Amino acid sequence: MSDSATNSGHPGPGATAPPTTKPAQLWWKSTWFDIVQFVALGGLLVWLTGRGMAAMDYRWQWYRLPRAFYRVIDGELIWGPLIDGLLVTLEIAAWGMVLTLVIGLVTAVLRLSDSIAGRILAKVYLETIRNTPLLVQVSIFYFVLQPILGINNPLWTGILCLAFFEGSFASEIIRAGINSVSRGQWEASATVGLNRLQAYRYVVLPQAVPLMLPPLTGILVNLIKHSAILSFVAVFELTTEARNLIADTFLSFEVWFVVGGMYLVMTISLSSLVALLERRIRARG
Amino acid sequence: MVRGSKKPRFGILDVIVLAAAIAAVAYVTYRVDSVLVYTWDWSAIPGYLFRYDEDLGHWVPNLLIKGLITTIRISIWALIVASIMGTILGVMRTSQRLLPRLIGWAYVEFIRNIPPVPFLFLFYFFISSQIIPLLNIGSALDQASPATLGVVEFLFGPANLIENFLSGLISLSMMSAAYIAEIVRAGILAVPKGQYEAGSSIGLSKLAIMRYIVLPQAIQRVVPPIAGQFITLIKDSSLVALISIQELSFLAMEIAISEQRFFEVWLFTGLMYFTICYACALAFGRLEKRMGRHLR
Amino acid sequence: MTDHGQENAQRFADAGRPAIIRIEAVNKWFDDFHVLKDIDLTVGAGEKVVVCGPSGSGKSTLIRCINRLESHEQGLIEVDGIELTDDNKRISEIRSEVGMVFQQFNLFPHLTVLENCTLGPIRARGLSKTDARALAMEFLEKVRIPEQADKYPSQLSGGQQQRVAIARSLCMRPKIMLFDEPTSALDPEMINEVLDVMTELAESGMTMLCVTHEMGFARRVADTMVFMDHGEIVEMASPETFFSTPKSDRCKDFLEKILHH
Ligand SMILES: Nc1ncnc2c1ncn2[C@@H]1O[C@H](COP(=O)(O)OP(=O)(O)OP(=O)(O)O)[C@@H](O)[C@H]1O
Ligand SMILES: [Mg+2]
Repeated sequence: MSDSATNSGHPGPGATAPPTTKPAQLWWKSTWFDIVQFVALGGLLVWLTGRGMAAMDYRWQWYRLPRAFYRVIDGELIWGPLIDGLLVTLEIAAWGMVLTLVIGLVTAVLRLSDSIAGRILAKVYLETIRNTPLLVQVSIFYFVLQPILGINNPLWTGILCLAFFEGSFASEIIRAGINSVSRGQWEASATVGLNRLQAYRYVVLPQAVPLMLPPLTGILVNLIKHSAILSFVAVFELTTEARNLIADTFLSFEVWFVVGGMYLVMTISLSSLVALLERRIRARG
Repeated sequence: MVRGSKKPRFGILDVIVLAAAIAAVAYVTYRVDSVLVYTWDWSAIPGYLFRYDEDLGHWVPNLLIKGLITTIRISIWALIVASIMGTILGVMRTSQRLLPRLIGWAYVEFIRNIPPVPFLFLFYFFISSQIIPLLNIGSALDQASPATLGVVEFLFGPANLIENFLSGLISLSMMSAAYIAEIVRAGILAVPKGQYEAGSSIGLSKLAIMRYIVLPQAIQRVVPPIAGQFITLIKDSSLVALISIQELSFLAMEIAISEQRFFEVWLFTGLMYFTICYACALAFGRLEKRMGRHLR
Repeated sequence: MTDHGQENAQRFADAGRPAIIRIEAVNKWFDDFHVLKDIDLTVGAGEKVVVCGPSGSGKSTLIRCINRLESHEQGLIEVDGIELTDDNKRISEIRSEVGMVFQQFNLFPHLTVLENCTLGPIRARGLSKTDARALAMEFLEKVRIPEQADKYPSQLSGGQQQRVAIARSLCMRPKIMLFDEPTSALDPEMINEVLDVMTELAESGMTMLCVTHEMGFARRVADTMVFMDHGEIVEMASPETFFSTPKSDRCKDFLEKILHH
């Protein structure tokens, strides 16, 4: 039985118990120790890569790389190919986003509408985009549609193609956002005398748009990522410039590391924004 | 008044949509016939699907079908490799310890944020110049018996292209693994905490709980989206055309150039991809309905 | 010694049974939240203890500590002479001696009723399939649903599911059964079928620790009532004393709310 001796150390009733404190955690079970190990592991990976490279006789020539960014000729600053490419990539992403939103919105409206032809058109568009590779879409846009439609700048063919591709995702996001507003909200809007358009404007969209923002920002990340595929056709974005640069200078690893880093900086900063937006929205409940 | 719940009917929007569609078709026809004065010629395509082999005396697959087979082959392999990698990473991402979670997280975020094309170029260059030579495949195959060679060719394609095939396969699997890891993670997290507790309360070890309770339930949730990942792989495998792996897109590109028939070849290739992917999508849709009936 | 600590010792000396669960001066925290404060509780073999108290008072946490679904940070918990520590081997030993029934049933949805019951015996006890099956059928009969053996949990009613959960625990032949609000997730008409099974189990001499607000059941079955509030055991008494003359105001309030509504 529980002998009272074990319990006698405790204060009697009435006396407030001294704040018994929580025992400390073991150091090797702590979060910090795991983080330290993680960083060490990352360091190890970098070191191993470095050693592998050294072993393969690769001659690092980092000093030649700044010229890929800028040159000063006769006191005049001239941007190098990587900066040019970066600007084109950003241009593609910016215009692509605008067109994506338009295409996504139109498709979502058609799918949510009661129009037979509208729904069929939207469905055909979505299934076509979903069930063919982006590379084939780019080829069809470049080799088939560009001459047929008489577009004379491959850059715009590329932007259009990416917008049609991402538009299929955008339409899903917009549709899901609108559908997430409960049926009761529509009914409530009707009972206070709003018509369908007013219900959208004053009740549904204000609730749906915040939900759509993070995934739509995610589409911007995808636009940046997928724009690299346009190096397949004659669009001089970042990846194309990188490939040309490598063909000229043979600085393969230097250039790919730097270009990969440039992409990562763009996409990760946007992805973090997405995460931040999501957290905000979840916090608001 | 309630969204999407109305019966479809013919309305003003239909008129607009139809008018726009007709206008688009008319414009394209006008451009092709009157401005480009293009004459369609599909006659070359069937010959690239199958050709009659005089020596063998029967029909054999030609470039487009061969390319399609390579596409499917690389996708199946990539699915297998990526599923294994993805499962490990996914389990790591749900671990109670921070360290495996961090490693899994870093991998997934890296792959998700790096564009596939530069990734392919970098890794293809690295893998094909560093890792593949270590495997010594070339000399191994030189010494292989015809029977072994037959099996190897069935599994991995033409012997002279195997190194190239493997490089593409590894790169593709590494990308796909990140997405499968996310699927697996979601599948595991969807198993309620009570299931672990019930498992430990009847005295099962951690491993037994994983093996008999969590994974079987996670698998039922995870198989349909992983099947969907196969469709994604068929599509994404077209990217390895950029590193000269002779799958469907790569060969289509070559045929289009040699025949100078860009319209027909690319449209037909698109149709081939569409048929495969759409058929898979329909089949997997059924699978999804049948699985996980007992999971609430 | 704490108030209930004395009672605990006293009550125990009277009954004269060997102790099977000993909880002494146990403290537990969730981060900075002190959920269990200086808990002392001893349960004898064959004793039935009913724990009640307001929501959030730490009842679930207490009984989950007994089979170490939660770990305590200070104090001593001993089950059948084995002290609960971080030692893994001992924990699975204890868990297979302590059955647990959850509020949400927690049946394995991908397994049939029979497989739910045989999983533990086969994988933790190493029984053969046939033996495990016979064992499972025996207990499914005890809880009166042998005919449902080949169905999946999702095909059963809540009451039936909870009875399967009880059978599943009994298949491990536990010495102690813990119940965490086993009837709170049930529709009213199903509560009794589960309470009946629990009453029978009590009559068969099982040691039981139940968190429940079914006061009729408590009166009928309990040897000892425990009232918890804010992580402390506030009162501990026989059902007669507990219901007729509760000592603390907190307990009186609680009983008033729960009995007259
Ligand atoms: N895993 C956990 N992490 C942090 N806090 C927890 C955790 N589990 C429980 N708590 C908190 O501990 C307190 C006690 O929880 P417990 O579940 O033991 O209460 P209870 O008496 O069983 O209540 P109920 O009647 O609602 O089941 C609650 O305030 C709860 O919020
Ligand atoms: Mg509880």
